[in-house]
Parts: sequence; structure tokens; C-alpha cells
Amino acid sequence: MSAAGEQLGGRAILDPALAPPFPVAALAVLRDPQLRKNVAHAIDVIQGKRARLVAEKPDWQALRAAASWIKDEALRNLGLYLEEFEARCTAAGGVVHWAADAAEARRIILDLLREEKASEVIKIKTMTSAEIQLNPFLEAAGIGVYETDLAEIILQLGEGEPSHIVVPALHVNRSQVREIFARRMGIRDLPDDPQALTAAARQYLRGKFLRVPTAISGANFLIAETGSVAVVESEGNGRMCLTLPRTLITLAGIEKVLPRFQDLEVMLQVLARSATGERMNPYTSLWSGVTAGDGPERFHVVLLDNGRTGILARERERQTLRCIRCAACMNACPVYRQTGGHAYGSVYPGPIGAILTPQLEQLRHSQSLPYASSLCGACFEVCPVKINIPEVLIDLRAQVTDRQRRRAGRFFDPLYLGLRAANLIFARAWLFHGAQWMGRMGLRLFTRKDGWIHALPGVGGKWTETRDLRGLPQQTFHEWWAARKTGTEGTREQGNKRAEAK
Amino acid sequence: MSASFSREVVLDRIRRATPGAAASGAALAEAYGAQPQNYIRCGAMSAGERVELMMQRLREYDAEVVECAAEELARTIATQLAASGRWRFVAPPGLPSEWLAAGFDWRIDEGLTAAEIEGAEGVVTAAFCGVADSGTIVLHHSASEGRRVLTLLPDWHLCILRASQVVETLPEYFSRCAAREQGSGVRDQESGNEGTREQGNEKMGTEGRWTREERTKRLPSLVTWISGPSATADIEMTRIKGVHGPRFLHVILVKD
Amino acid sequence: MRASLFITCYNDTLFPETGRAVVTLLERLGVELEFHPRQTCCGQMHANTGFRGEAFSLAKRLIRMYGDAEAVVIPSSSCVAMMRDQYRGLVEELGDERLRRELDALLPRVYELSEFLIDRLGVEDVGAYFPHRVTYHASCHGLRALNLGDRPLRLLAKVRGLELAPLKNLDRCCGFGGTFAVKNGEVSSAMLTAKLADVLATGSEYCTALDNSCLMHLGGAMHRQFAGMKTIHMAEILASTTPMEALG
Repeated sequence: MSAAGEQLGGRAILDPALAPPFPVAALAVLRDPQLRKNVAHAIDVIQGKRARLVAEKPDWQALRAAASWIKDEALRNLGLYLEEFEARCTAAGGVVHWAADAAEARRIILDLLREEKASEVIKIKTMTSAEIQLNPFLEAAGIGVYETDLAEIILQLGEGEPSHIVVPALHVNRSQVREIFARRMGIRDLPDDPQALTAAARQYLRGKFLRVPTAISGANFLIAETGSVAVVESEGNGRMCLTLPRTLITLAGIEKVLPRFQDLEVMLQVLARSATGERMNPYTSLWSGVTAGDGPERFHVVLLDNGRTGILARERERQTLRCIRCAACMNACPVYRQTGGHAYGSVYPGPIGAILTPQLEQLRHSQSLPYASSLCGACFEVCPVKINIPEVLIDLRAQVTDRQRRRAGRFFDPLYLGLRAANLIFARAWLFHGAQWMGRMGLRLFTRKDGWIHALPGVGGKWTETRDLRGLPQQTFHEWWAARKTGTEGTREQGNKRAEAK
Repeated sequence: MSASFSREVVLDRIRRATPGAAASGAALAEAYGAQPQNYIRCGAMSAGERVELMMQRLREYDAEVVECAAEELARTIATQLAASGRWRFVAPPGLPSEWLAAGFDWRIDEGLTAAEIEGAEGVVTAAFCGVADSGTIVLHHSASEGRRVLTLLPDWHLCILRASQVVETLPEYFSRCAAREQGSGVRDQESGNEGTREQGNEKMGTEGRWTREERTKRLPSLVTWISGPSATADIEMTRIKGVHGPRFLHVILVKD
Repeated sequence: MRASLFITCYNDTLFPETGRAVVTLLERLGVELEFHPRQTCCGQMHANTGFRGEAFSLAKRLIRMYGDAEAVVIPSSSCVAMMRDQYRGLVEELGDERLRRELDALLPRVYELSEFLIDRLGVEDVGAYFPHRVTYHASCHGLRALNLGDRPLRLLAKVRGLELAPLKNLDRCCGFGGTFAVKNGEVSSAMLTAKLADVLATGSEYCTALDNSCLMHLGGAMHRQFAGMKTIHMAEILASTTPMEALG
């Protein structure tokens, strides 16, 4: 995918409509040892910090239960809470817009920027804006977009794509960052230590913060009862964007609403620990509409649906919308650990991406993502809002299969045919036993003298590419049991011995 | 699509997706009575332990912390300012005048421009609350805490925190917000020192039950939670202190 | 004490020695075992690959088959997890009220092998002898779905002669994941490589687990790489009482 030092992940396609299937995209990453090393290092660090801080919280499970309850309550009454948010935010001087889909959200934001006669805009990292592919749209309309989060600057200047939702440039190492900054900021003699690189970014952005009068942010939480928005960050670039410009536009998915201000006492405790392994992130900002003399004079919120109501409508999948974008699931995921984020072909990678993206796409795309998991359950175990990701993955697989049943191509898919046949066979013991016998005979052809199979044709070849398979034993368990019972006027011990002898 | 049209489209989709939704705001309040709150809400530490923990956590964030008695505060501020090697400071308009130590260039924020604030070498403010568990300083941006931009642009922030403002847990901060009397700043409230944590949890639970209307009026409209100086770990997970916010956070803890 | 053995399709076909070991072990502990010859599969492979209807028909078959069993012992944590976590959803989705009641009655009597030994029989020391250095791989289903906790380690600790070598990154998946191993063969293999490195680093003679699926995955790679380590289901360790049997 990305050769070191060149365009970083420049060829990664994060548009679900265009991205290759997960196994194909993953292959490219698996052949990039530098990238895999960068990813493994980063998530090992976060995982270790998270584990230590969660262990020191005796009430961690109670916090998870409360967090998941709060999000469920917000989703159960989503319409009422959004209307309450809208009313309070409007009363506080904000303007609330509703966008049914990505195109509408992009258009609303562009119209607002045109009203402001804005030629430039500064941005706080927001995955939702990446979801609607806002930056290329605004740039095509002639507006200069400046990302201000360090990782986002690395990606923007290096023309790369995010591979993680909290640490989007974790696949890029320091020497790659040095190369990008030196080239794009025109700094000669830039050392590659993170301190100097961070200082270069500070320098690069300082003027923009003080000059550009319009900003775009996402939202971590919307508070219904106060009409407030909360943004959680570390670097202070968020505070800059939220306070210095004249006009602020916040883009938020409709699922971001919390009923009460007090709900933050739970959400802030679980979010920072899960996301970055800190007791609390350095800065969290909360504001309500417009405050005279403090911060932007004009404030807009764009509430985005873009497929979320479809998820809301499905009982088992609704839990997907509890997600607070902490990325603990991808940090814990053994698949993500090997592939990094780009293989998921979406701005939402990892386990949460594997369930969120196909649903946002209404399964028109990303049909390979629900299968990009060994169902090990590590994601569910760490999720601070208790999203049972394996359960949703399995349900989405069923939806994909149901679509497949209607397609003629299924008759050419050996896995599909195999599973259908297996079902017929498992339904009747005599068929099962017959199939076992046939399997034993058939596999004999491939079994070497050492009793192992080293190569298989077809689907089985996917197994034997890297693994041997032990040949089928001469006697199944049920055959042994039957022989032992009938044989057997003798004792159990004799039966055992006979089986051993075979 | 017109703006109000999309509003109706989205809300209609939501209504159809949530047939079990409550019919009114009153039903919502009832739903909240059932919230599981068996996480730790009320702290169990003595006042002294609480302040100790607050200082320890701040130091873990690389913040400089000094303690002083109330009557030594003005002198301690002067010492800290002098030790910083800085000279040009900004301060919010509500900062007590005795905190503005002599011998420094003070600009009081009565509508300073961003450039003027950017030109200052440091800022001195009060705070609304400190949360010991996470070492968090909470600003509600009152007249003594300053506008948001005031504690953002200067590279050096000296924050004055009184021991009575320090709570142990984050939920205790939130119940202070709800219990806050309009306009009077922090109401002193020693929570958690009498009785068990369980009793304390229950007490906090009932205190917080205002009607939605009452609560909304009491709640702050601007909040910044600060936990150490700005930081990033975006390059190889190496923690770098000081990106865009103040790179140096100093705290004076006043024993009152 | 009577118990019915659900051996699972997988063990029946590929790992009959595990089933024989379970029989040896439980009969030694005085359990009277029965075995339904018509048993086949719990439907896990179908459910996890998205063939819900097919999984349902297999689930129904199994629930009916074990309706009157005093206890059902299953030497495979993933199959137990399938019954506990997915059967109810399948049954409810199809609105079969009678089957749901049958399921509710059955589930409390379903045991994974280590659960049966410790929770039902109340034994940790099963009188086993296995003089080898062994490392234990906690399968994801045993670890997270069944919350087996330290049950397997308690059983191994009481095996005479056994030297237990702790495994690094115990909670990390080996990459098997059923059809995942072929649908995402390359990723699965990469996960396996990482796991195998940890397993081999223990310097053990055997790697054991309560799931033959993980062991087939690990064992297949060990054999391919001439790793000099073998896999063995824990039932076989617990069943062995003499040096001869252990080598058998």
C-alpha cells in the first residue's frame, strides 16, 4: 500500500463504493512489513496504557453498564432529544440544520461558507466529515481546507488516508513525518524527533489559527437539555478552532446526542481511558450556542443522518449507534493488528468499521467487511458502551447471505455450495456418516505417508497455503463407540484397547 | 430539498425507527429514574487526601504545583511569576486585584484582541473546580476564570485553585454544577466525608433530581476541562507536551 | 451421575481421540455416559457464516435430541458458546415458543468439559499423570464467551508430572475463526504466525486447549514448519494416567 517515505497510503481507497474487498486490500498491507510494524507498535502502546488505567478503576464494569444505558436511552427517544437539543441550541443563539444524507450535509456547509465569503477554513479532526468526504468537495469549490490535528496534518500534507479513528496517522513513522514536513513546509534540516516535528506543526498552524475566520468541527457529544456541544481533544487545536474564528460550523451524526449534561460524568470517564489510555484527555470543551464576547459570533450545527436511521430501525443492529468513537475495539482487534486501517476501505476501520460501514452503505458496498473478523470477541470485551460487535457481525453476515441467495453467482461459490450441502448432510445422521466415509476416502488421495495433507485443491487450498492438515482418522468417534458397545460382550477396557490398537 | 423538509424527513425516519419512544418530555424524566448508577459517584477520601491526590495527578501531567496558605496567596503568586522569568501577563477582569503582583506588565482582559493576548507571556486565572481522581481543572469561564481564549493563547498558565474547590470524583463535580446557586460561584459542600460511600452515592443521586427546566438554568453554558498541558502522541505514540494550548501549566493550591 | 456426550461433528470426524479421552476420563470419575448416535452438528459454522436458516434447523435438532439428558458434556468451547449465545436469538427470531421453552430448560444442563469437571463434579484433581512441559492456549470462546477463567489452569495444575509454561498474549486469537481461515486466509495466517511465535517461545512439548479447532490451526502450522511441538486436547492430558498412555 504505502512504500516508506512516498505518498502515505496515497493509494488507499477509503470510499466504500470503490474499495477492493477486504481480503484483497489486506494482502497489500500484509506485504508491507514497515507499515505493520508501525501499526503494531502504536496499538501496543495504547493497549498497555488502557489496560493499566482500566485496571485501576474498581467500578469499570458499572461505568460501562451506565454508559451503554445512557446511549440506549438516547437512541430509544432520539427524536425527542434531538428536538430538545435543537430548541435549546437555537435559544442560545445557534442555528441547527438537518441533513438527510452526505450530499445535503456537504451542500449546507458549502452554502454557509459562501455566505461567510470564506476562502479558507480550519478544521478539527472529525471522522464524520471524512465520512461525507467533505475536504475534497470544499477544495473543488475553491475553498482552502486546513486540518489542524497533528495526525491530520501529516495525512493532509502527505496525501495519505486515515487508518485509525483516534490516531489516524499511526501507520506513519517519524522519518516519514520528517520527510513530509520538510518537503511541504519547506524546512531544511528538520530533525526526525517527535518534539521537533510537533514544534514545526505548531509553527505552521499558529498563523492560520489567528487569521482564518471560519472553522469546522465535529462533536463528541450533543447535550439535549442544554443545547450544548462537547469536543474532546488533546492538542489544543480544537480549542483554537472553537474560540478564535468568527464562525463555527459543527457537523454531528444524529446519534451523538446525550439526554443530560450529567451524562458526561460517565461518558468522559470511559472515553479517555478507552481512547488514549489517559485518566482524562488534556482538553474537553463544551459550549452552548453563542456567548457574547467569548468565542464565535455565529454558530451552526449540521445534524447528519446519512444511513443512521436505517441502523436505528433494526433491533439487533441499533447498538452500533452507541459508539463513541474511542477506537478501543481496533486497538484490541487481532485482525486490525495485522492489517491496519486502510484494508477496511472506509474512514471507519477495525471492528466498529466492519459493522458500521456496511450498514451506512446499506450493504450496497462493503459486503466483505462483516467477514473481516475471527469473531474472537476482544472488541466486545473492551467496548466502553458494550456494543456486542460479534453479534452484529453475525447478523450482517446473515443479511449478506440472504442477498447472495437471490443471485445466480451463488452456484459458482464453493463456500456457499459447501455450506448448503453441509446443512443437508447434518440434518440426517446416515448422510453425515456417509459423508464422513466419502471424505476419508477422498482425502486419502491427498494424504502423505506421514498422515498429513500438505496441499488441497479449491477452497481447501486456502488452508494448505500456510498450514498442514492432519489426514482423517480411520475410525470416527461414533464408529468407535458403536464397536465398543456391540463388540463387546467384553469390558469397556477391552473396547478402549481395541480402539487404541487401530 | 429545503431545510425544513429534511428536518421532517429525518425526524420522521427516527419516529418510524423508534416505535417505543416516549410520547413526551415528562415520560423521559421517568425513564431516567431507572438509570443504573452503581458506579462510584461519591468519593471516600478526607479533604487532605483529596488535595494530595489532586497535586499528585497534576504533577503526573508535568504541571508545576505549589501549596500555600490563604494569607500567603498574593506573595506566592508574585514568587511564581518572578520564577517564571516572564513579564507580560494577561488576567481576567474578575481576578482579585491583590493577585496582580507589582513589578509586572499586566493587561486586564476587557476586550483584548487575540493578537494582544497572543503577545502576553502568561496568564493568571481562578478556576471553578478541581477533580482529584483525574487531576482535572474545570473552568466555567466566569469573570475570574476568563474568556476561553485567555487561557489558550499564552504559553504559560498559572491557575489558582482553592482546596475547598477540589472534589474527588468527576460525578462530584457534576453534582456541584447542579447544586450551584445562580451566580454565586461555588457553594461549599463537603460531600462524602460523613457516612459510607453508598450513603453518599444515594444522597448525591437525590440532590441531582431537579426538573429538567430547573437543571437547565443552573448548568454552565461554557466549560473547559483541563487535564495537564496540551499534548500529542500522534508521532509513534511518543507523548509530546505542548502543542497549541499553553505548554506550561502551574497550579497554586490554596489551603482554605 | 449420568451425562450425555455431545462430541461435535468436528471431533467425531477429525479428532476421535479427544472423544475417547473424554470417555476414559469421565468413566474413571464414575460418570455413566450415553451417546446419541444420531448427533451431528450444532450449526455454529452455518450461523457464523450467515446461514441463519440452516443453523436454525440444526439447532432445533440438537435441542430436541438432548431434551431429556441429565447433563450434556461438550469438549469444545465454541460449540457450547454457540448454544448459549446464539440459540436463543435463532429460536426467538422464528417465534417458536415451544422450542424456546425447551431451550431454556436445556441450557442450564449444558457444560463445557472443564465446567463439568469443576462446577458439576466438583473435582480439580482428576488423577492424571502427564510428565511433560505444556503450555495452555485459551481459546477465544472459552475465554470470553464462556468465561472459563482459571478453571483449565486449575485442572492442569493438579496433573502429576506436568510442567505448565505460561503463554504470552494469552488473550490473543490464533486466527482460526471457522470459515475466516479460508475466506481471509492471508490475514488468518498472519495472525497464526504471531500466535505461533508466542506458543513456540514457551519451549513446551505440547500446546493444549479446550478447542480442537484452534489446535488444528496451530498444529497445522507446527507440522508445516517442523516446529517440534505437538498439540493435544486437554481431555487427553486429563485422561492419561500412565506414562504409556500419555505417549499413546
